[in-house]
Amino acid sequence: MTVHNLYLFDRNGVCLHYSEWHRKKQAGIPKEEEYKLMYGMLFSIRSFVSKMSPLDMKDGFLSFQTSRYKLHYYETPTGIKVVMNTDLGVGPIRDVLHHIYSALYVELVVKNPLCPLGQTVQSELFRSRLDSYIRSLPFFSARAG
Amino acid sequence: MADEALFLLLHNEMVSGVYQAAEQGEGENGRCITKLENMGFRVGQGLIERFTKDTARFKDELDIMKFVCKDFWTTVFKKQIDNLRTNHQGIYVLQDNKFRLLTQMSAGKQYLEHASKYLAFTCGLIRGGLSNLGIKSIVTAEVSSMPACKFQVMIQKL
Repeated sequence: MTVHNLYLFDRNGVCLHYSEWHRKKQAGIPKEEEYKLMYGMLFSIRSFVSKMSPLDMKDGFLSFQTSRYKLHYYETPTGIKVVMNTDLGVGPIRDVLHHIYSALYVELVVKNPLCPLGQTVQSELFRSRLDSYIRSLPFFSARAG
Repeated sequence: MADEALFLLLHNEMVSGVYQAAEQGEGENGRCITKLENMGFRVGQGLIERFTKDTARFKDELDIMKFVCKDFWTTVFKKQIDNLRTNHQGIYVLQDNKFRLLTQMSAGKQYLEHASKYLAFTCGLIRGGLSNLGIKSIVTAEVSSMPACKFQVMIQKL
């Protein structure tokens, strides 16, 4: 059980933060394009899910999984999107993603006057706190499962 | 006092506002710091009037400094000063190991050069508070590793 990587996007598609812990295969395209691809896909899936839903939508798009990994998605009313790729053994982690937003992003980036909003996060404090938080999660193991 | 985030965000905007309003140039940094300190001075004067309206008169200077470290700091920053040192000859050093306005910024050396801007208002706050209690002083701040910082108060004997 492990976490592969994490993306943080803002309302305009700017990738605010990316970190990876266990990623065996790279996408084969430059990082900038990878972020655009991820954001574009999320945007399309969200509108697809809301249009094609046979019932009234409550939470919207939450996650998708393949035979090797699971992608978890959390979006805030202000348009901040937290995307985490984990392996298949992990259940719903909405509260984890919410914690990353409220206790880490809001506390350390929004309240930091030297971190301009809408740009990649440079704060070392944010990076290190996020890293130690992810490593402390019960479903994170140091060796890739 | 209202929610902390309110004051924190307002203070951050104030600092960037003062810096944006100033023109380009090397000497501007000092002028901006002075402006922020003077703002803090006036706020400190008002705050101390409000906080001490029901307290008894202070015995001596040390008592006043202890009041600043405990009650004043608690009401403004919701914690006490961690360490107060003095040489009993008019110099006091107030040490706060987890200064509220800096905790979100960094935990160490990143952004250190900008830290002094965010301390200027608080220096003024202390100076204003002391001045309304009858003590004329000069307050400076230094940061070696965030979020810990030291405020040095030099009492001016008239």
